[in-house]
Amino acid sequence: MIKFIVKRILYILPTLFLVAFLVFFLVHLIPGDPALVMLGDEARPEAVKAIKEVLGLDKPLPIQFGLWIGKIVMGDFGISIHDNHPVLSSIADRFPVTLTLTSLATIFSILLALPCGIIAAMYQNSGKDYLFMGATILGVSIPGFWLGLMSLLIFSVYLGWLPSIGFVSIWEDFWQGLRYMLLPSITLGLYMAAVVARMTRSSMLEVLRLEYITHARGKGLTEWTVITKHALKNAFAPTLTTIGIQFGMLLGGAVVTETVFSLPGLGKYLVLAINDRDYPVVQGCILFIALIYMVINLAVDIFYSYFDPRIEYK
Amino acid sequence: MDIVLEIKNLRTFFYTGEGVAKAVNGVGIKVGMGEILGIVGESGCGKSVTALSILRLVPYPGRIISGDILFDGINLLQIPMAQMRQVRGNRISMIFQEPMISLNPAFTVGEQLMEALRVHRKISKAEAREGAISMLKMVEIPDPERRIKEYPHQLSGGMRQRVMIGEAFLLDPEVIIADEPTTALDVTIQAQILDIVYKLTQQRRTAILLITHNLGLVAETAHRVVVMYAGKVVEEGPVEAIFENAGHPYTNGLMQSIPVLGQSRRQKMRKLYEIKGSVPSLFDLPMGCPFNPRCPSCKNICTKEEPPWCTLGPEHYLACWLFA
Amino acid sequence: MIGLGIIILNILVAVMAPWIVTHDPMKIDIRNRVSAPSGVFFFGTDDYGRDIFSRVIYGARISQYITILSVVVAAVLGVVIGAIAGYYGGWIDNVIMRVMDAIMSFPAILLAIGIMSVRGGDLYNVVIALGFVYIPRFARIIYGSVLSLKEKEFVEASLAMGNSDIIILFRHILPNCTAPLIVQATVSLAYAILAEAALSFLGLGAPPPTPSWGNILSDARNFMVDAPWMTVFPGIAITIAVMGYNLFGDALRDFLDPRLK
Repeated sequence: MIKFIVKRILYILPTLFLVAFLVFFLVHLIPGDPALVMLGDEARPEAVKAIKEVLGLDKPLPIQFGLWIGKIVMGDFGISIHDNHPVLSSIADRFPVTLTLTSLATIFSILLALPCGIIAAMYQNSGKDYLFMGATILGVSIPGFWLGLMSLLIFSVYLGWLPSIGFVSIWEDFWQGLRYMLLPSITLGLYMAAVVARMTRSSMLEVLRLEYITHARGKGLTEWTVITKHALKNAFAPTLTTIGIQFGMLLGGAVVTETVFSLPGLGKYLVLAINDRDYPVVQGCILFIALIYMVINLAVDIFYSYFDPRIEYK
Repeated sequence: MDIVLEIKNLRTFFYTGEGVAKAVNGVGIKVGMGEILGIVGESGCGKSVTALSILRLVPYPGRIISGDILFDGINLLQIPMAQMRQVRGNRISMIFQEPMISLNPAFTVGEQLMEALRVHRKISKAEAREGAISMLKMVEIPDPERRIKEYPHQLSGGMRQRVMIGEAFLLDPEVIIADEPTTALDVTIQAQILDIVYKLTQQRRTAILLITHNLGLVAETAHRVVVMYAGKVVEEGPVEAIFENAGHPYTNGLMQSIPVLGQSRRQKMRKLYEIKGSVPSLFDLPMGCPFNPRCPSCKNICTKEEPPWCTLGPEHYLACWLFA
Repeated sequence: MIGLGIIILNILVAVMAPWIVTHDPMKIDIRNRVSAPSGVFFFGTDDYGRDIFSRVIYGARISQYITILSVVVAAVLGVVIGAIAGYYGGWIDNVIMRVMDAIMSFPAILLAIGIMSVRGGDLYNVVIALGFVYIPRFARIIYGSVLSLKEKEFVEASLAMGNSDIIILFRHILPNCTAPLIVQATVSLAYAILAEAALSFLGLGAPPPTPSWGNILSDARNFMVDAPWMTVFPGIAITIAVMGYNLFGDALRDFLDPRLK
């Protein structure tokens, strides 16, 4: 098992390298001269040249790449052109917000999706099931940012139940923080809930057909036990994979949600940085997010084996 | 002989998109205490559905429409589900056909055996563990303390079937329903399994419903035989009577189609016997006797009315117009 | 089947747009700015006095155009790449699939954002961005199918007959993949509409004043409280369109999956 984990981590490294490569060259194709951004359009050519020398922006691209990678490995993600803070620490400041948002969204969506999916599977082809299918399709079709806007409109403006803009960290003040995070989390999580719910349902349907379920009933177990213990454990594995993938997608969706609700998270930071041509930030952020995503996938793979012991890890 | 289980006039139908499949269409079976009853018939004749009906495990879209299943003074089809669950696994247990898929792959063998015990008996985990280990010993699985911790996919097919058998006997039920218990196994393993089952039955006076299409198996082990066709019982009787003196044309056809080894050369050149025609669709059963399209002795009345239940010999009955 | 109906409706609307619109979607009419839905302006007007109904209709056209084009691009490229990787194996396989993995290790939106910011806000750039994001998914499907099928005998027989690799790929292997490909296509189409809208909303999509649905919503944001109609209608339009693809894709998947019978 340990060997498996190590092997997987080693596998990630080349992919990560490739990602860094893509990120670097992608970012450096952004039109706009960062030196000018920093100094302003009216800057004198000598000043621009001086800055470029200091930052190493005048060296050929491959060398810049090499230097960047070297620094990354040391943990130095560079300095933001925009505000002169080290990129890594800015990321570290903002990432918790994004993480909180994504996690809350995930929790919400699992809490909603699992029971609905299970019930829909149990009552296949009934009225409940059709309602479920309709709801999930709707959930998958509504654009996230529109949902955010509409819910802001309804719950904040018209009903006044929840605050619209602003942020309080739930680590400082749980209930207040929750008030601010509730709408964004639900908005972000709805899509995922729909996808997970459908996956749960179809996975459960497959499992419930299988002979060992009939066998479990034949032993005299209550339906509740059969479903929650026997069926669910087997059905959960593919659902878990879906959750993992969706969590990754949430990281992307968080960008939009943070913009709509003005949350000081990583996504919003990234979008602003792109607009500002702040290379180090953009590179650092994207690389960081890609890394997180891979870590999550790895975790999912490891947990998978708990639910399906048939997978042999060599 | 005391009757421990009696099925009367059971009807179980499947309501599908293509129509209603009459899987079990008026079946009556009696099982005596300690008796091994073989239920034979081709695939699709309703044997498995009958078995599932006894424990009310018929899957959607099937439903038990009518009938009675009497067991120890109660009608299994009428009691509330909670009571039914006390019967399942405890007083009537079932061995399913393919051991590969009957055990939950996500739990160890020990966990599943212990669960079976603890559902019906108030015992501690340690006691359940002991019970599981001793049962594994009884079905002759070597090194049971280690096997308990293993997952089903780590055991061979034969061992898994033995675990299933062990589980069936675990709570000392009065009836065990064995649905094709050996079909998925090699012949040598089959023999071993049968020995174990026989041994356990003798010790405990358990009645066994042996459902199979393997006539040789039935000939060796059963006391009585029930022959089913297209959802109905067509003949029943002591095993010798059925094999040597069958009355119903279908049973005769089955007996004749058993290939026999060791015949003379000339006899060996003869083609294998087959019953002409094929099993009718359960959605569209013929009028009268369901066997009439294929029956070599078919009479006019066979296509119009269902045959009556007739006596051929001591404890030997059949449904056929030839004997009315 | 409802889904198919919706899709067809959408496409019809998009194609017929010039005839259905009641007003010129671009025409600015300051006198009537930000007015509520009425008999004249079905969905109301925006802050430039443009008729939202017309803009939404035109938006259908633009969105369909972008999404269908980008999925086609993704599919074609993805199929080619996946086929090559699967068929030739070896180091080509390794490199290509690693690159695909790398692309897939980004949340899709982020990648699209990244690409858009590089290339600038232009309709065709959106197509490229979205297309690029989806290539790996198509590539994987073909890759898997090619891998499993290339060892089969009919491929060997075909080779023995002297068919070139390309012919084998097209005639024998591809037809077997059509089912999952089509399903993936509908999924991608649905997602592409959402993605395009999100990009435009963030200001990284088709440039204003093009009435893409996302743009309309982006403009609407400032007037959300006072003029809710600006937000409501485009959103509903998007939802219905996406639902169409999803329903259709679902029905298709059920239809093609023999196990669910």
